[in-house]
Amino acid sequence: MASIEEPPFEAKPPAESYEPGSEADFERLYRNSYRRILGTLITLLRDRTTAEDCAQETYERAFRRWKDWRPEASAEAWLHRIAINVAISDRRHQRLRQAGELVRRLGRPAPGSDPSAVAERSDLFQAMKKLPAKQAAALVLRHYHGYSNREIAAALGVPEQTVASRLAAARQHLQAVLGRR
Amino acid sequence: MSDIERDFQKELEDELHRVLDPMSAMPIPPRRSAGKRIAARTVLGGAGAALTIKLLTGVAVAAAAVTVAGAATTGSINPAVWGQQVSQYVADCKAKLADGQHGIGDCVSDFSNQHGQGVASDARHQGSGSGSTNGHGNNSNANDHAKNKNRGPQTKGVSNQHDPTDPAVHATVTVSPQP
Repeated sequence: MASIEEPPFEAKPPAESYEPGSEADFERLYRNSYRRILGTLITLLRDRTTAEDCAQETYERAFRRWKDWRPEASAEAWLHRIAINVAISDRRHQRLRQAGELVRRLGRPAPGSDPSAVAERSDLFQAMKKLPAKQAAALVLRHYHGYSNREIAAALGVPEQTVASRLAAARQHLQAVLGRR
Repeated sequence: MSDIERDFQKELEDELHRVLDPMSAMPIPPRRSAGKRIAARTVLGGAGAALTIKLLTGVAVAAAAVTVAGAATTGSINPAVWGQQVSQYVADCKAKLADGQHGIGDCVSDFSNQHGQGVASDARHQGSGSGSTNGHGNNSNANDHAKNKNRGPQTKGVSNQHDPTDPAVHATVTVSPQP
């Protein structure tokens, strides 16, 4: 698959301005945000392939509503909100799709050192995938992307206190699962 | 926040970066076009699917109708069969003519009537469906077979068959002698 060369990944870049409805701006938003959206989805979903599918689904949904987006809100926060909804929806359908996904993965040639294999070997990641999606999303937005609780609250459309509660519950659950308490 | 809690958060962040950073550094694929998927959905799903099915069904029905009509007309799926039968029968009629006798119209007319009645009978059977009854528990096909027994092998289940010599319907055809 052809790819677009990008500068090295940096967490939480300075906010860029976009014009709603502009296809060129949406393409720029895609290139600026894709890796972070994918990172979030990989944390929420079971494998990289599914996360990539959901990332594309996220941008398709976002593009359909792009003309309605309001610049007052962060475009990337808006994308994260859509991505988390896509991930939650995918989790619901996960069991139904397991058989088809297995066939598709068997059909893919092994690309050598697959970075997603690291995630599959990580106890922490395996534990995170068992968290409720909203808790896992809060965790990755806070501890990987570096968003504040207020920014997460704005992205997810929930009160800041809810974010704090989700983070506390997620950390408590992980500590229990990993035997750190 | 306790030291344990702080250490755990640090570990959490380190682990997230260790796992996600290599994946995030991979090339960005081209954005999937929603337009193509929408176009495909239009053709393959919803009203598009219904229209496609109707069109395919129409083509299939038309093809079947042509095949059935051809078979009913010629007695065979191959349209050349009836023509060959006629040619053969005309040749036979000519061969049966005695010396000095002219005209094979009666002979050909007899064959034509047999074929026409056979096609009509087949069409009636196809129209009523195989094994249909007449409301009295009698199978119409069986009735036709019974009539055929009384009429001999060349009169195939008809009641209004013309006499081969009926001049009002079949004019005599004169064929010039072969060189």
